[in-house]
Amino acid sequence: MKNRKRGSELSRRTLLGAGLAGAGLGMMGGPLGRAALAAPGDPDRRILVVLELSGGNDGLNTVVPYADDAYYRLRPNIAIPEDKVRKIDDHFGFNPGLSGFERLYKDGKMAIVHGCGYENPSFSHFTSMAYWHTAAPNSGNEHGWVGRLADAMKPGGASNFIVNIDATQSLAVRSRDHVPVVFDDPDKFARQGFNSETELFQHVAEAGDDHNASRRYLLDIARGALDASAQVREAWDKYETPIDYGIVPVDMNKIAALIAADMPTRLYYTAFRNNAFDTHVHQGNLHRRLLTYAADAVHAFIADMERIGRADDVVVLMFSEFGRRVPENTSLGTDHGAAGTMFLAGKPVKGGHYGEVPSLTALDEGDNLDYTTDFRRVYASAIEDWMGIYATVVLGDDFPRFDMFA
Amino acid sequence: MPVGFVSTRLGALALVGLLAAAPANAGHHAWQDDLTPIDAEEWSYDRAAHLIERAGFGATPGEIEALAAMTPDEVVRWLVNYESVPNGDLPAFDHSGIFEPGLDPFPPSRPATTALARANGEALGVRVKPDGNRRLQPVVNKFFYWLRASMLETRRVGYWWGNRMLATERPLEEKMTLFWHGHFATIESKVRDYRKMLLQNATLRRHATGNFGALLLAVAQDPAMLAFLDAGVNVAGAPNENFAREIMEIFSMGVGNYSETDIREAARAFTGWYFDDLTFVVNADQHDTGAKTLLGQSDDFDGADVVRIILEQPVTAEYISARLYRFFVREELSPELNAKLAAILRHADYELKPLLRAIFLSRDFYSAASVGTHIKSPVELVVSTYRKLGLRALPGIPDFNEATAVLGQALFWPPTVAGWAGGRSWVTPGLLLERGNFGRRVLFPDIDFVPHDIYAPDGLIREVHRRTIAGADITSATMPPVAEAGGMMAESNMMADRDEDFNTRYASYRGWQMAIERVKPIPRTAAVLDLAGMVREAGLSTTTEVVDHMLARLLRVPLGTAERDMLIAFLDGELGTSDIARADSYLEDGLRMLVHLIMSQPEYQLG
Repeated sequence: MKNRKRGSELSRRTLLGAGLAGAGLGMMGGPLGRAALAAPGDPDRRILVVLELSGGNDGLNTVVPYADDAYYRLRPNIAIPEDKVRKIDDHFGFNPGLSGFERLYKDGKMAIVHGCGYENPSFSHFTSMAYWHTAAPNSGNEHGWVGRLADAMKPGGASNFIVNIDATQSLAVRSRDHVPVVFDDPDKFARQGFNSETELFQHVAEAGDDHNASRRYLLDIARGALDASAQVREAWDKYETPIDYGIVPVDMNKIAALIAADMPTRLYYTAFRNNAFDTHVHQGNLHRRLLTYAADAVHAFIADMERIGRADDVVVLMFSEFGRRVPENTSLGTDHGAAGTMFLAGKPVKGGHYGEVPSLTALDEGDNLDYTTDFRRVYASAIEDWMGIYATVVLGDDFPRFDMFA
Repeated sequence: MPVGFVSTRLGALALVGLLAAAPANAGHHAWQDDLTPIDAEEWSYDRAAHLIERAGFGATPGEIEALAAMTPDEVVRWLVNYESVPNGDLPAFDHSGIFEPGLDPFPPSRPATTALARANGEALGVRVKPDGNRRLQPVVNKFFYWLRASMLETRRVGYWWGNRMLATERPLEEKMTLFWHGHFATIESKVRDYRKMLLQNATLRRHATGNFGALLLAVAQDPAMLAFLDAGVNVAGAPNENFAREIMEIFSMGVGNYSETDIREAARAFTGWYFDDLTFVVNADQHDTGAKTLLGQSDDFDGADVVRIILEQPVTAEYISARLYRFFVREELSPELNAKLAAILRHADYELKPLLRAIFLSRDFYSAASVGTHIKSPVELVVSTYRKLGLRALPGIPDFNEATAVLGQALFWPPTVAGWAGGRSWVTPGLLLERGNFGRRVLFPDIDFVPHDIYAPDGLIREVHRRTIAGADITSATMPPVAEAGGMMAESNMMADRDEDFNTRYASYRGWQMAIERVKPIPRTAAVLDLAGMVREAGLSTTTEVVDHMLARLLRVPLGTAERDMLIAFLDGELGTSDIARADSYLEDGLRMLVHLIMSQPEYQLG
């Protein structure tokens, strides 16, 4: 196993080489329909939270390969100096803003997956994000991977099974059978009106055989809103926590509130708004701050899960649509790149490094990291080994999984 | 079934269409994908209502009747050739006067500002203090002043524009300007200069229905766009690809129709294009004069050549005509129809009017697949609500920018360079409820309404204010509340107050104060409505007639029979009678609730 919770008793090469062995173990599935679950706890209470670091997070300045001279050669002005890095072993250290991740990693609750990407990478935010959302690079799918996972877990749909906290619905949660609960501000997730209007508010028309697909869609949404709004508001009103989620909680506190209220939701999805991680210019300070927001929020969230007794049931998956180009640009920033870093955090996660570290000296012709890990391997691991659904059903193909859950 | 005065006023077809069943209202299925112009005999109240809702922002029944009395050709000519329509009463934007010469060029960030001040002893027109604590504080205050002031002034620009949409006699001019704003999405929070945003808005309006090629070039030379997509750092020897990528991917050709090499080469061609304050300039010494190969052509290209070469690509006309079609007609567009639309645009050398005319007159536009299937954008929803209620000036309560932003469309703050995704993405369960709540705010204004152009929405800033005026020192005044309470403090909260040269949080507070002193307030008049007057004017005598009148006025898609009956029963209950004459002296509140309920229906989102 490449799991190394503390220190670095094994060399990095050995550890990383072991990745495939882990995947092999994971391949041993369970009976048809449901994959066998390795970890303890009630499988029907397991929750997956996805946090999107949208905009293209600079993986190299997130998990810094401080022992690699090439890193400092290619980034003479924006590299994080070795003495500033939060070292986690003899090769890597976190960005100084990531004290939350450092604590999670040292507690063995954080998996770092290197070199995540796909063949023929797109450098467009929108295209690449759509590939990650659908898990269909250079192709497409009407539904998102989280939506399809919900369809596999609960065919026919169920109320409040997917929650997407954002101003608009993510393609990732678009589902055949489920109407995801999408809201931004729980306090505003309510109809305002007079007591005498209530009966009409509680009523949603039947679409019948209406040819107007937009109207049918809106009626479905109206039904979803009716189901969810009261529950969400009540959960948020009741929620109180002594834990500090930092300046920008990235909605992790809202998710904690819903989990604390025992919502039936198994899949949560949220994102940094407005391509926050798109750091073309003067990135140092901004990038560090964004990472701090993410790390504070995720660390607090996991502590909060511990507080409410749900730490064994919840895993957070983090990704970005691409990494950034390896050499810095001339504006003290970085341009759109290819492979990036994914993270899994939570008590059930086996902390450590996963995936082969891409070489900084054998870049592609666009000066990009060649991907070493198809990102769908991480999805597959979460789908099958955490949520207990055959990943092939959701992803349409077999991807070697990592053994990343305790 | 109501007969008599109402149906005469609205045109019998309209009410029959709305009440009986969908087909009469929705138009023919056979017309789908057919670009044949509709005949004058096929023109109707419903079709006029459909056109003005899509090409403009909706209209009152009286205005629609006037359009229905014209021929379709006349109406489309009035809409598209609007240059001859007088519109002189619309006021120019009234500047508050917040700009000062030292603020341009504005450094890209707070750290860049303080670095500049350290190096030069001065930044943003403010000198560093020679001695004492927080020597850079006045510079950082000024930095935050401009961030806040530009943001607040841009909201005033949003108000000014929203008011134009409502008051204009040329609805298509504003609708197309809105389309181009989404197409060439530029975000104030990165441009950080309301003047550039306003200038871009004028450029988009000037070219709104002109020539797409001229518009594309104007946008490539637009200071807001140049600032937004990092033109300042796109220089010979170190090209920055941001603009070069977006002009191909989002502004003209669409993804997959160019290579990464094309982007790099185009970026080189654009090197040296920049702005000096509000003027486009070419910095010749920063332009890469070498040969470039772009989309199969090679020469010493500059930015204008890139635009020319892009326009030569057949896919550009396809992409632009598809974007326009999806905005005005419907989401699904067959490749065959797209090819026909692209041919119109190409044969007109990218003049937009022939294409717009063809779309607005086509049978396809009035087919069942098109009518009543468009999910309105928040700006469309808000402006059309006011127009249909007969308002001709934007109310100050609810706040126009907040109302549209909450629903997902803040003018001048699109989410990304790709603009607003539109279509189904406009509506989620949360947003559907919020759309109904917007109706509630219009009909029953909040008595606790707080204008956020004066009252800082950020609780932290208000807390700094409270402590500062109580005499606290800057460090204590700006301490995050959670640290004071002795809770576990997150890393980000500990970072905020470390630097001794200045205090960021204090500057944020002081900058807000400086801004509200200079930015003119938005007048806060609530919407003044007279629904009872509408009912009297229409001569309605029963609650059934009132419900049908309001449904016809507000909806383009009929409600189900059961839902209509529930509304009638509701109004009967509120008024205590179905006799309107009996309820005449107290009609207004019941009518407002009725309209609120209609605005809360899923069907109200459709145009």
